[in-house]
Amino acid sequence: MNILGPIINVLFFPAGLFVLIIGLAYLWVDRKLVAQFQNRIGPRWFQPLADVVKLFFKEEVVPDGVDARFFVGLPILALAAALTTALYVPLVGLQGAYNFPGDLIVVVYLLSVVTMSLALAGSNTASRFSLIGATRTLTQLFSYEAPFLLALLGPAIVAHSWQINTINTYAGTHWILLTQPIGFVIALVGLMGKLELPPFDAPEAETEIVAGAMTDYSGRGLAIFQLAKAVEMVVGLTLIAALYLGGIGNPIDFFAKTLILLLFLAGLQSLFTRFRIEQTVKWWRYAALLVLAQWVIMVVLGQGVLS
Amino acid sequence: MALSLTETWQNTLASIKTWAFTNSPWAIHYNSGSCNGCDIEILATLTPRYDLERFGVILQGSPRHADVLICTGPVTLQSRDRLKRTYEQMPDPKFVVAVGSCATSGGVFLGCYGVVGHIDEVIPVNAYIPGCPPRPEAIIDGVVKLLQSLQKK
Repeated sequence: MNILGPIINVLFFPAGLFVLIIGLAYLWVDRKLVAQFQNRIGPRWFQPLADVVKLFFKEEVVPDGVDARFFVGLPILALAAALTTALYVPLVGLQGAYNFPGDLIVVVYLLSVVTMSLALAGSNTASRFSLIGATRTLTQLFSYEAPFLLALLGPAIVAHSWQINTINTYAGTHWILLTQPIGFVIALVGLMGKLELPPFDAPEAETEIVAGAMTDYSGRGLAIFQLAKAVEMVVGLTLIAALYLGGIGNPIDFFAKTLILLLFLAGLQSLFTRFRIEQTVKWWRYAALLVLAQWVIMVVLGQGVLS
Repeated sequence: MALSLTETWQNTLASIKTWAFTNSPWAIHYNSGSCNGCDIEILATLTPRYDLERFGVILQGSPRHADVLICTGPVTLQSRDRLKRTYEQMPDPKFVVAVGSCATSGGVFLGCYGVVGHIDEVIPVNAYIPGCPPRPEAIIDGVVKLLQSLQKK
């Protein structure tokens, strides 16, 4: 039984250090693109790294009225869930380090664990802003989770498999984007909802509720939540690129396809203003109906046409 | 040998810490009784024209996330406790920048019945930026000088 391989897989590549570095780099690309769209110069290339290092050096205030174990543990849970997903997706064009039939569902639910622990962290603290933030995070989670999952399952149905690697191989010969455009758009926008990027950033709206669920977090906890978000972003982009954009076969494929998706994400972020929370829920209701309509069309036309 | 090794290690850690702090100062803005002139200039500093994100400055909503407290205006009796509380909510290490004549000296409000005085009488201040109101360039200069003073330490 080889022990070294799994340890390297978990700590350095593909999960662990490697995906953290890629996550910080993608965070910078996102911030730089948004800055360019807003006619600004934007942050320097090491900015997300400097932010995280600074937060690790800062004092961590544990406020009164919180359960200290949850306060310290929930960020770690979020990061662990995000890093675990990196083992199953085809990062940099390599096959996932581990795979089993049905890992697509596991990845989607591990990504939800990140959001869930954020909401729990918000409701754990006594601040009213973090309570409102946690409520909004959960409301948004319930509204986007169903359409996002349905949109990711569309490719799984035509590939006759629930395994990410099999769908990736199938997508290498079929551009599912062309047959399921609605699913692609909803998966992309669902990722924005998951990451709480601008049109859907009501849970952390700093002009209304300070910083949402993370209001009382400082130093280490905040840094770990940011790292978890960064990893979530890379994993989500990889997943959508693998499922919809013709699969990921090699590193050039990986960087080109995920960066094009990131360009779209940054454009949408700077195009739209923040939705109110009930507008977000309304939007996702239509999105779920659209995905369901696409499923009905797929079933009616027969899988013979699409697959 | 062991001692010098720990020393080198500590020096490296200290330089990483200084690098991180000088490159990522997150700010929070507090108005303790200003006439809004300085606040408008601070907002102008954050607009795309001056783009403080180049230096890593982000305006944060929560004092728990912030490193630099940017204060404007004289401290009124009403806002004294709130200013103190905001300062105490920030995690260490934290810095305070007083923006404008009133924040540095009390300005025209000095001696008013409802005014405590300048910021330094309530919380310790690391950098003063004079002007009524100071231009965005002056505010950027003040923040950069604060960061340079961190590097010298």
